[in-house]
Amino acid sequence: MRISFEWLKDYIKLEASPQEVSERLTMIGHEVEAVEELADDIVMEVNVTPNRSDCLSIFGLARELSASYGIPLKFPEHQFAAESGQLDFNIDILDPDLCNRYAGRIVKNVEIGPSPEWMKKRLEKCGIRSINNIVDITNYVLLELGHPLHAFDLRTLKGNCIRIGTPKTVKGNGIAVKTKTLDGAERPMHDDSLLIWDAEDSIAIAGVMGGLDTEVKSDTKDIFIESAYFDPISIRKTSKALGLKTESSYRFERGSDIKMLKKALDRAVFLMKKYGGGQIYGKIDIYPKIFYPPEINLKYEKVNSFLGLKLSREDVIKYLKCLGLEIEEMPDYVKVKPPSFRRDIRRDSDLIEEIARMYGYDRIPIDLPKASICFDDPENKTLTQRNKAKDAVRISFLKNGCTEAVNFSFMGGEDLDLLMLADGDERRKATKVMNPLRIEDSYMRTTLIPSLIKNILHNIAHGNKDLRLFEISKVFIGNKSFMENIDPQDAKLPDERLHIAAICYTEKAKTLYGDTTHEFYLIKGIVEAEFKSLKINNYSFKRSSEPFLHPGQSADVFVSDTKIGFIGMLAPSVISKLDMKAFKPQIAVAELNLDTLTACASQALVYVPLSRFPYIERDTAVILDSSVESSLIIKLARAYPSDLIEDAYIFDVYQGGSISEGKKSIAFNIRYRAADRTLKDEEVDILHKSLVEFILHQTKGLLRA
Amino acid sequence: MLEDIKEKFIEDLKSAQSLSDLNNLRVQYIGRKGIITSQLKSLSSLSPAERPLAGKIINDIKLLIENEIASKELIHKEAELKNQLLSEYIDITLPGKYTAPGCEHPLNKILLEVIDIFVRMGFSVEEGPEVELDFYNFEALNIPKEHPARDMQDTFYVSDDIVLRTHTSPVQIRGMKKRKPPVRFIAPGKVYRCDADISHTPMFHQLEGLMVDKDVTFSNLKGVLITFIHLMFGHETPVRFRPSFFPFTEPSAEVDMGCILCNSVGCRVCKGSGWLEILGAGMVHPVVLENVGYDPEQYNGFAFGMGIERIAMLKYQIDDIRLFYENDIRFLRQF
Repeated sequence: MRISFEWLKDYIKLEASPQEVSERLTMIGHEVEAVEELADDIVMEVNVTPNRSDCLSIFGLARELSASYGIPLKFPEHQFAAESGQLDFNIDILDPDLCNRYAGRIVKNVEIGPSPEWMKKRLEKCGIRSINNIVDITNYVLLELGHPLHAFDLRTLKGNCIRIGTPKTVKGNGIAVKTKTLDGAERPMHDDSLLIWDAEDSIAIAGVMGGLDTEVKSDTKDIFIESAYFDPISIRKTSKALGLKTESSYRFERGSDIKMLKKALDRAVFLMKKYGGGQIYGKIDIYPKIFYPPEINLKYEKVNSFLGLKLSREDVIKYLKCLGLEIEEMPDYVKVKPPSFRRDIRRDSDLIEEIARMYGYDRIPIDLPKASICFDDPENKTLTQRNKAKDAVRISFLKNGCTEAVNFSFMGGEDLDLLMLADGDERRKATKVMNPLRIEDSYMRTTLIPSLIKNILHNIAHGNKDLRLFEISKVFIGNKSFMENIDPQDAKLPDERLHIAAICYTEKAKTLYGDTTHEFYLIKGIVEAEFKSLKINNYSFKRSSEPFLHPGQSADVFVSDTKIGFIGMLAPSVISKLDMKAFKPQIAVAELNLDTLTACASQALVYVPLSRFPYIERDTAVILDSSVESSLIIKLARAYPSDLIEDAYIFDVYQGGSISEGKKSIAFNIRYRAADRTLKDEEVDILHKSLVEFILHQTKGLLRA
Repeated sequence: MLEDIKEKFIEDLKSAQSLSDLNNLRVQYIGRKGIITSQLKSLSSLSPAERPLAGKIINDIKLLIENEIASKELIHKEAELKNQLLSEYIDITLPGKYTAPGCEHPLNKILLEVIDIFVRMGFSVEEGPEVELDFYNFEALNIPKEHPARDMQDTFYVSDDIVLRTHTSPVQIRGMKKRKPPVRFIAPGKVYRCDADISHTPMFHQLEGLMVDKDVTFSNLKGVLITFIHLMFGHETPVRFRPSFFPFTEPSAEVDMGCILCNSVGCRVCKGSGWLEILGAGMVHPVVLENVGYDPEQYNGFAFGMGIERIAMLKYQIDDIRLFYENDIRFLRQF
């Protein structure tokens, strides 16, 4: 809200400079976000929090300053000499729960014209355009006292009456009602929206906007001025349903001052008489739901124990009184009744805040808690373990050259199409956002791959080569109704799983050391390194059937029998749909379920004693069908029933040359060692020979000469 | 005669240029058919009385020759090794071969730094869903439907009662519901609001903190948060608390720290005020405690929340929030 410093001084004699005053407002909870210096005034932009509708006016802020500085407050002039009698005019509140009070006055023979210059200027400084003296005065009082008023052209009101009610009450259920508002729109109204009616029609939307037909025009002579209290929730619902936000609805939905409305009405007619002439008629004031302030008991001791202060009883009373709270002192506590403009004060903690505010947050001492050591609940223990494993995975990816990306959790339907996921794929069970900012962000991600592909494209477009990125984020799949013992409400929420995904792309440029490793093995190495860092050994890779991966260069990743994800090269059919200039670019991707993975990592480690005896190694090359997977050899060596085989690895794979078509040569190394003695060469020769025979038998291979 | 041999050897040694020259010399003088060897053989023609003296003289010369050749050989060997090593010099300025370690995302780097500070203060780390029930995101936090405070946050809706969480505060509710006090945890994570411009992204990161126990005071809240700001930004950083409003705290506070870019003099980033808003905080609202079944007459506590993007932007002087989500490696490699 914009407030003029010069205007503010109408209600409080401020000695302090505008800078000091704006500092003070900020420190009592009304943050001054900007200060604008004009030739003859200072305008402050005040951020009033939603609980403080009483401060949505210049007088309201003056009231706060008066409490804080201890300077008296002056209410603007609103008494006028004489009323010209009562007129035959009826006000009928049909929905008293939605309209607790409605007051009005009639002013006759006003002269519509321009407002005085000073008023125009003040309105403009606060961001309101001048229209004519009558409308300007209602706006002026709105800014001054924070109470919205509305002026009707009396001659347009049929039947000398005003009725306040919803279409449901006035017309009955389900009858269509339209209201033509000031802005010219004809708006269909909800059954429960509070409207103002004359004897025949709806003429305004209560607290939101006036009607076109009843507005004050240049030839208006007689007016009816409305000053009312409307239920905040009702006003908010109506304003939201219509998408219509006005200065008036903004204040009513935050709560207006039910006692102020009478004074605001008098202030307005006082100004109208002064600047528009005319006769003022008697006030009509219908007040079916009287406001009774809550009675709050505040223990003195609680103030200090809550804030960490040592305030005396007198201090507590002083701070409460300066804010206009009604007080009754009791032995251990004080009985407090907040004024009608402070409906935000409901409990003792609200009073404690008021005391802290007036005392000054900055003066409250600084003290570290003397807290008991929190017991270690099992819930948190598993969380901590998981987080540690997650950190280990993250560090492993970083160490292996992957840079960390963070993407928005959104995706579009076309991202799933790009991956050619089948209809039944669980990644199609995505959570849809009702109001996305862009259509491409309509869903919560069910896979991290599309975002990483976009990151790669962005980087390539900016000349960045040699890319290895990874991301750890949640994916959101289906719902949790499959879980046992789940709260029925929570069952509606998506199953949130933590995933890690990586992507590698190298532009085949000349490199210094000529590394020709296939990208598949790069990403596989990154994933294997992660298993090593978590001390997971029972992992395996099996051919994958993910539709977006190259069928011959992809694998599903398993830990024991559980599939935890996939690795592989993006299928050419996916790549051809990407906006890439490079010729046949090779992009490797991986995505793993980190929750499952980290659960596997929690096995306790047990030490294996080291052998003191020397080892013996044997190298052998075999010729196999090229379709045989090399991991089979290692698997067979591991499975071979001997305690003496310590390690086995493949050190060469060769095709072509002397090896005939459809065959390949695989060379492997076996290391033998006994735990309790030095092995003899002859013994190892025999063992190795039978192992090789076993391998050849199982693989239908031949020994390479 | 022997003196001549010796002099001749010294001349020959001088002209020996290589290891093979030296070897030839060795053969020529002390080899099996060498000059000195034949001299030794001729000793047998002398009388037994003359032999010892003559033998000693010859042996001395032999020793001298051996030593001279050996020492000159050593010099040659060293020179040769040096030459060989020289020929093996490589360009040490070419880059080494390694897998360059990847870089941390600046948001996670900051997040881990913040988490570390609070973990050191005894807070544990708690999590909650990002797609959340309206009940936890709003209602349990004392923000009923139709409350104007809902305007403070533009919400993404999945359905009428499911939202993308607009803050990490719902973790307070879930975290308290599953334990009994005392409670002390932080909840970092992603949050969502439908807003996008130079200083807003539809997803961003927050970190929430909560402490509930008997006799927790507003002074304690100040103590913990000032300690955090001092550990994060330096011990000289000025901090101020001012009243504010959050539906789930009472009293509520906004925490400002002195602008670290201009040393509180006033600049573009702090809009000339010298202060930067860094945290929202307050004493847990009694309604919130009641909502999770804690007795507000017996227990109280404080809660706070901060935006991780904001801290990262201040710390690294990043002026456009969108950079965090482009994942351009020229940006990421700086962290």
